[in-house]
Amino acid sequence: MTQDSVSESPVVDRQSMAVDIVCVGFGPATAGFLTALSKKLVNPDGTPIAESAAMPGMPPQVIAYERADDVGFGVSGVVTPARSIKAAFPGLDPAQIPMAAPVKTEKVAYLLDPVGASRRSLALRTADGVLKLFKGKHHAIELPWIPPFLAKHDGLVLSMGQFMQWVGGQVMGSGTVQVWPSMPVAGALVEDNKVVGIRLVDQGVEKNGAATGAFMPGMDIRAALTVIGDGPVGAVGQQLDRELGLPKDHHVHDWAVGMKFVIDLPESCTLEPGTVLHTFGYPEPEIFGFLYVHPGRIASLGIFVPSWFDSPVRTAYRYLQHWMLHPWIWRHIEGGTLRSWGAKTLQESGRRGEPHLVGDGFARIGEGSGSTNVLTGSGVDEAWATGTLLAEAVTELLKQGKPFTRENLESTYVARRRASWVDAEGRVAERARDGFQRGVVTGLIGMGLAGLTGGRLRAPGKPMPPHKRLPTIEAFYRGRISAEEIAKIRAECLAKGTPLHLALMDRAGWPAIPLDGKLLVSHQDALLMGGKVQAPGGYADHVVFPFPAICATCDQRTCVEVCSGQAIAHGPDGVPVFDREKCIHCGACLWNCARERPDGSGRTVLEFRAGSGGLHSAEN
Amino acid sequence: MESILFLACVEADGSLAKAAREALSAAKNLAAGLGGAPLVVGLIGAEVQSAANALAACGAARFLGVAGAEFAPSRYTTDTAAATALAKAAGATIVVAPASSRTNRCLAGAAQRLGGRVDSHATSIAAAADGKISLTRWYYRQRMEGVLTRTARPWVVLLESGCAPAYAGVPGTTTVEAVAVELPALRTTVTGVRAPASDAQTIRPDAKLLFVAGAGWTKKQADGQVHATEAEQLILGFLASAKASLGSTKSLVDLSGEGQAVLKFMSHLNQVGQTGSTPRHPKGLATCCHGEEPHTVGWRFINERRAINLNAACSWAQGKADVLYVADAFDVMRKVNALLSSG
Amino acid sequence: MPSVFHIVVCGSIVPDPLQTLEPITTPTGPALKNELMLPAVLDPWAWHALFEAANLAKNNPGSKVWLVALGPKAKLQQVMMSVAQKAPFELVVIDGPASGFTESAEVASELAAAITSIAGLDKTKLLLFGGWESASRGAGTTLPMVGERLGITDQFQGVDQISVQPDGSFEVLERIEGGKHQVSTCAGAPALLGWATGNLPEPPNNPQVGMANMRTLMPALQKAKPAKVTNTGLAYASVALPKQRRETRIVKDMPADEIAQEIVAWIRAD
Repeated sequence: MTQDSVSESPVVDRQSMAVDIVCVGFGPATAGFLTALSKKLVNPDGTPIAESAAMPGMPPQVIAYERADDVGFGVSGVVTPARSIKAAFPGLDPAQIPMAAPVKTEKVAYLLDPVGASRRSLALRTADGVLKLFKGKHHAIELPWIPPFLAKHDGLVLSMGQFMQWVGGQVMGSGTVQVWPSMPVAGALVEDNKVVGIRLVDQGVEKNGAATGAFMPGMDIRAALTVIGDGPVGAVGQQLDRELGLPKDHHVHDWAVGMKFVIDLPESCTLEPGTVLHTFGYPEPEIFGFLYVHPGRIASLGIFVPSWFDSPVRTAYRYLQHWMLHPWIWRHIEGGTLRSWGAKTLQESGRRGEPHLVGDGFARIGEGSGSTNVLTGSGVDEAWATGTLLAEAVTELLKQGKPFTRENLESTYVARRRASWVDAEGRVAERARDGFQRGVVTGLIGMGLAGLTGGRLRAPGKPMPPHKRLPTIEAFYRGRISAEEIAKIRAECLAKGTPLHLALMDRAGWPAIPLDGKLLVSHQDALLMGGKVQAPGGYADHVVFPFPAICATCDQRTCVEVCSGQAIAHGPDGVPVFDREKCIHCGACLWNCARERPDGSGRTVLEFRAGSGGLHSAEN
Repeated sequence: MESILFLACVEADGSLAKAAREALSAAKNLAAGLGGAPLVVGLIGAEVQSAANALAACGAARFLGVAGAEFAPSRYTTDTAAATALAKAAGATIVVAPASSRTNRCLAGAAQRLGGRVDSHATSIAAAADGKISLTRWYYRQRMEGVLTRTARPWVVLLESGCAPAYAGVPGTTTVEAVAVELPALRTTVTGVRAPASDAQTIRPDAKLLFVAGAGWTKKQADGQVHATEAEQLILGFLASAKASLGSTKSLVDLSGEGQAVLKFMSHLNQVGQTGSTPRHPKGLATCCHGEEPHTVGWRFINERRAINLNAACSWAQGKADVLYVADAFDVMRKVNALLSSG
Repeated sequence: MPSVFHIVVCGSIVPDPLQTLEPITTPTGPALKNELMLPAVLDPWAWHALFEAANLAKNNPGSKVWLVALGPKAKLQQVMMSVAQKAPFELVVIDGPASGFTESAEVASELAAAITSIAGLDKTKLLLFGGWESASRGAGTTLPMVGERLGITDQFQGVDQISVQPDGSFEVLERIEGGKHQVSTCAGAPALLGWATGNLPEPPNNPQVGMANMRTLMPALQKAKPAKVTNTGLAYASVALPKQRRETRIVKDMPADEIAQEIVAWIRAD
């Protein structure tokens, strides 16, 4: 068993508990799994389909542990085709789910740069010049036609938080499965190459993990099957990837930070519930935007900052504000009020990031299992579907009394997955975005080709891990800000312990954000007023810097610049410091670390472990 | 026709607290607003005559008292029985009492025994021209203000301090009608009061200024170090020289449970806001806070509010504080203490 | 010889602390906008009461803890998944509004009836616990009325500590004005304690406690009776957020010396 991601605290009275199936993380994949499984665990006559091995005489004991403080604290900017969700709830009336609306109108727009600060290539500047001749209204060109692979008609606009709250109520109400929030899972228990359960995080510890008087070692939960649905930056998924490696030619080099606001739209706004707006081209050409309208004059809106945006100063928050201020968006939201805020990172390698889906005693589902479709930009539907497929497989094995071995899971779960639409569409999408590695225009062309030819044609490109592709700040701003000036800005910011991105963006020509305390608020206010970010005491820091000497020599410190919650700051000796009370667990720091460990493992020098706390908004 | 009972517990020295005299003003005002509804004074304590005499000129139709050694301490069994007996003897439809730890404890139970209804933490009670009585109180930790009316009687009202002028009539002599109370066997004995040592006494309800300390005092400062000892000295020094009361945010109080660098004199009793108190002081100075707690909840009843905060854009301070100083609280408070100690 | 207590904790749910709350008017009276969408927590002071109850029960073997909650069933179910990991208890649910605008006397009547119907509850061993106020109504009037209905005449509010003596009597510390505590001794159960913060840290999440509680949680939720809360005789003329928004003067770039002088002058002014 590898100890680096599970507790290193002294083993004092560590308790152990046995169940039949333990799930890690309660996101859409686990929700899909538990929704389907809870309906199948009992025969029509009310008898259980199998007896619990862990608690003889009882039905199978199924437990899910969720890291966040409630089941409704997940984040996603969701418009989803919802095929698998509708299948799970036949006759679903969206009105049952708060903030849900059927998709009504869809628009895609290319946003021109109204402020002149965007970093656009020569090709793009030329194209912009031509497009301006067409006098796009509000500095935007609306696409006359939405490619079918991007269309979400017949789908749903959802709030992930409200949807998960609703699903949580449904699955818990069945009485056959349990979902426990505020319980991070430190790692998988691996014995003789078999996953035999999980270990929960230690409680009653200092920020550095040292035991206090209230120390309670993380409990071991032993289970015949461990279902891993802990998302793209989950501790258990990371651990298995390290221990098992990825299948040949698979990688997870592509990712994005998605950051969103939920707002009350102004009275003057005429957008109907179910309206779906997507943008590209601004504030930087690489950044995509979305605005979805919920019932009750509420909208979710935000941006995706992808891995191929090669700025080492990739602050999503400031860019989100500039995107909101773009005339094509601002005309709808000016006068609105912030209700909620949140961010998450997305695994955007899709099927090419698929890990080993099963092994002895475990199965992986959801985004961390490579289910996201990077061509259609759809993840929730696919994640849910993988959970449903696993539930069918598990039911079959339980009924037959077969153990959860690699072979049995291969022949039931993996076989179902390979035969599924998730897999078929994932293959089409697999290389659709490779062109973005070469530039935005190439990327868009490549995506269009892949989408319209079923993946047969695409633009080439080789995704790279962040530490191999992120340029230095000086290289990124070459020709715009001199190295001397960057050095001066860096010194000033380091002295104050603040990130560089605000000063650099100001200097690069981005106008100041006219804060109004209502919709355009400071980053810290977004945490408090929007995300309601909190962290209970008694848990260790989950972002740690185990190679301080390397951090001290890093002059990019993308971890500081990219942090969605300003939870990572410049430390006094050059090593970043982490403030757990501000962390929203998006994992951007993990993806963005620009320095590699000296051990040849390919891992970077920032560790993102399982931790508690984070967002306390149920609207994201 | 309404009949109003002003109900109060007499202090150990036989006097009436300021809050009680404020509630009397409110009761008198209500009686007047109802076109001269009868007002009865009801007092509870070891001895009530001198307090009654102090109110002789208040215009009460009757003075009722429950007195005796059993009624000296603040105790549910005795206080509830006394308050119920007084309300019955007065034939009261409305009972107005000052909010205190003592009355807050006993009057809901008394309302239950009277078959009535109770509203605590009222900030006003008054009659409109049509005789309809409206009561104002706050909901959801002082976030929203509600105005309500009731048809049920008797209606017991606990009025917060600082919401009416204190009665200041000329003392005189009056006759107190003793009201008999039948008590069950007493199972609770009040043995005393436990107070922090005088040098650790940081809560001063009568102080002019509330000093609110946030978690920033225990965080790393610009030099990358924690300065908890200096923070303690600065805060205690300020409290001593400004004779201020100390409030703290929940996050700062909670830190003490995490074994972090903490301010030793801080306890949950200091907490303002959520699960804390909502004190009333003429002025408030908040330092190193960033959050809703001090600015929205704990500050609701602070008249003049200033804040020292490193974040100029703090939306919690903006619109809620009168002045926001964008500065390092360590620097400023060092200087403030120097100025205060130099006289 | 430890005492055996039957500890009943009354407590329901309130919005998670940092949520933005806005009142609205509905046909049945005031309510919070999007009330059922807001994340909820167990009322903070009742939360402390539950920790104290669990601690007392642990130290007095044979004792038992019930949590009696009046709230919307679906929300209670969700919140219980956090609460149930903290302390062992048996849940009793009354399905109804957890709103701060409901009449405390009616809530008290419902809670008292639910407590009376708990099978196996020995009223001579009863310690009735709860928060001394809720974070919703913030009145502190419900619990005393429940106590009255159950005939409990030894009541304490703002309690920060209970110390049980070998004979079953106990000492109680109650918050009084000025950051002080009144000290009382009580002959023993039955008694009522409305808790302030107490001194116990929040217990860790314990999966085994959660599993044990689960055996009664879901059945309790399934058999929850609807509450009869009608706010009879109570009418709200208005419920509003404070209108006053202060004009905040923002002082930037002023040397600390000058800020200090300004603050001192302000403190000294009448």
